[in-house]
Amino acid sequence: MMKTKASWILRIFAAVIFTQTLYFKFTGHPDSVEIFSALNMEPGGRILIGILELVSAILLLVPGTVAYGAILAWGIMSGAIIGHCTEIGFEGDLLSLFLLGVGVWVCATVLLVMHRHQLPLLRHTYEKPDSSA
Amino acid sequence: MVSLTVDLHRLSKFVNVALPVLTVLFLFGGKFLSFYLNFFTVTFLFLSIVNYFYLRVQTEHSLLRNFGIVAQGRYLIESIGPELRQYLFASDTEERPFNRVERAEIYRKAKNIDSASFFGSLKEFDSTEIKIRHSMYPTDREALLPYSLTYGEERGIGNTYTITKPIIISAMSYGSLGRQAVRCLARGAKMAGIPMNTGEGGYPKYHLMEGCDLIFQMGTAKFGVRDEEGFLDEEKLRDLAGKDEVKMIEIKLSQGAKPGKGGLLPKEKLTPEIAGLRGVPLGKDVISPPHHKECKDKSTTVSFIRRVQEVSELPVGIKFCVGSFEEVEELVGEMARQNIFPDYMSVDGAEGGTGAAPKAFMDRVGVPLFPALARVNRILCEAGVRGRLKLMAAGKLINPGRQMLAFALGAQAVYTARGFMLSLGCIQALQCGQNTCPIGITTHDPTLQRGLDIPTKAKRVENYVHNLEHDLHELLAASGRRSFNELTMKNLFIPEDSTLAPLLDQQSLASTYN
Repeated sequence: MMKTKASWILRIFAAVIFTQTLYFKFTGHPDSVEIFSALNMEPGGRILIGILELVSAILLLVPGTVAYGAILAWGIMSGAIIGHCTEIGFEGDLLSLFLLGVGVWVCATVLLVMHRHQLPLLRHTYEKPDSSA
Repeated sequence: MVSLTVDLHRLSKFVNVALPVLTVLFLFGGKFLSFYLNFFTVTFLFLSIVNYFYLRVQTEHSLLRNFGIVAQGRYLIESIGPELRQYLFASDTEERPFNRVERAEIYRKAKNIDSASFFGSLKEFDSTEIKIRHSMYPTDREALLPYSLTYGEERGIGNTYTITKPIIISAMSYGSLGRQAVRCLARGAKMAGIPMNTGEGGYPKYHLMEGCDLIFQMGTAKFGVRDEEGFLDEEKLRDLAGKDEVKMIEIKLSQGAKPGKGGLLPKEKLTPEIAGLRGVPLGKDVISPPHHKECKDKSTTVSFIRRVQEVSELPVGIKFCVGSFEEVEELVGEMARQNIFPDYMSVDGAEGGTGAAPKAFMDRVGVPLFPALARVNRILCEAGVRGRLKLMAAGKLINPGRQMLAFALGAQAVYTARGFMLSLGCIQALQCGQNTCPIGITTHDPTLQRGLDIPTKAKRVENYVHNLEHDLHELLAASGRRSFNELTMKNLFIPEDSTLAPLLDQQSLASTYN
């Protein structure tokens, strides 16, 4: 029971942060445009990442697909962290943005471990799916 | 000599090194060429982490611990092995419990498609296969005697029950089957004019819905007719037996799938409704006791049969899988001593089994149907009491050929459960206990049950019965006999290596009951 509650809190946290930044990405907010220009991904990359974040948020909220959403979120946030380290930097507002990214990355990692049995990769071959419970 | 091989050991070592190297390379690419390359950085980083987890962290799988992510391929491919084999690689005659040829025959019968086959049989003609002997002078179809079997006539009771087709739907409870499947079968039974056994699932709510004739099965836990301690509650039995649809009562002593053990309903399939109908707690496997609390030995068993006969005022049968012939002999002797006989005996072959059962029991316990049936028939004949009851058989009797063998060995009617599941479209996915039946038969998941349309599938059941009956008549005519009662072991060709061969010298006895 505790586990399901924790899972829901992490999922909602990650999804809320994604959807909130989506608004800035899709409307072409100057800050967002500036970041993606620094990565030389403007405008296609900004839209692409926005779409991936939207998909990830949806997958995270659907109970059967949490692990897949978590993988996608983990990937996007890993990319964001790499971006901050190599191109964007951490000055001013960027630092809080970076920390939010790290927060989502941690959520995604924890969710991935919690829901790993949904993945065909890690499912036990010879056991009934529920016998671990 | 040089041969073209894939060295998986070296491949896995290569992959283990390549994954982190590629991650770093793409990271540099992302920095100096295009940030888009970081899509690959992230992907390879993820795979590297999974690989590290397999190699260094997890301890469950030796193969993954030694070879990492490449070894995952084995598990992935192996997991779809059963499907691949069934779709592509298994030959038409090698699957168990029913091979494709046997299944296809049922599907064709159920769909009312001509089941003639061509260019020779796919069966073995070796030294163990039992064949039916035909006569040089087959009976004319008009000369065949109409089939009719009246249960309870030996005791001269008022509520006798007569069947006019020799096929009965064998015991499958609501619980093992989903409600939709129960209703398909019940409606089909009604349309075909045959009775259906309720199985030991308690009050037969869904079986009763379609108005077909029912044989109420009392399992060792007596679901539906038990008191608090698991003894018979006579009032409940009287109520049930008073229903118009309930024509006979069957006391289940043991079952082919797991002789010596009680019934088993896996917790995955226990819904609140089923728990209510059976009166058991949720969340635990429902395990019936190995024997009826009243039946401790032969004499109490016979007395219990009498008690059920008296309370229900209906024909009462017993169903068992043979373990020891001596025990059967003693039980029959006790029946003769007390002058109390069940109205029928149903011999369940050890090969039977729609039920969930521990693998060792499914595979290793009990005598297979044909030798068991032949011996039980002989025991009854030798005791001079064959005329006091009816004999029935169950155990993979899904097609007319096997059913004919059962008739020749002494059965007067046959039970089949899996035959009817196949007629509903069962694809033998072997998931009956997991609540995931892809056809929707042995599941309580409404999204899977959706696949079973009651009118369509009921018609299939009816077709299956009619086509079985048709084929049985043809076989009977070919054998030169006029009714199933006239069949004996003499109508069978039994090779020396068959399990039935030792009984052959006694065959004259086996044919003396009528």
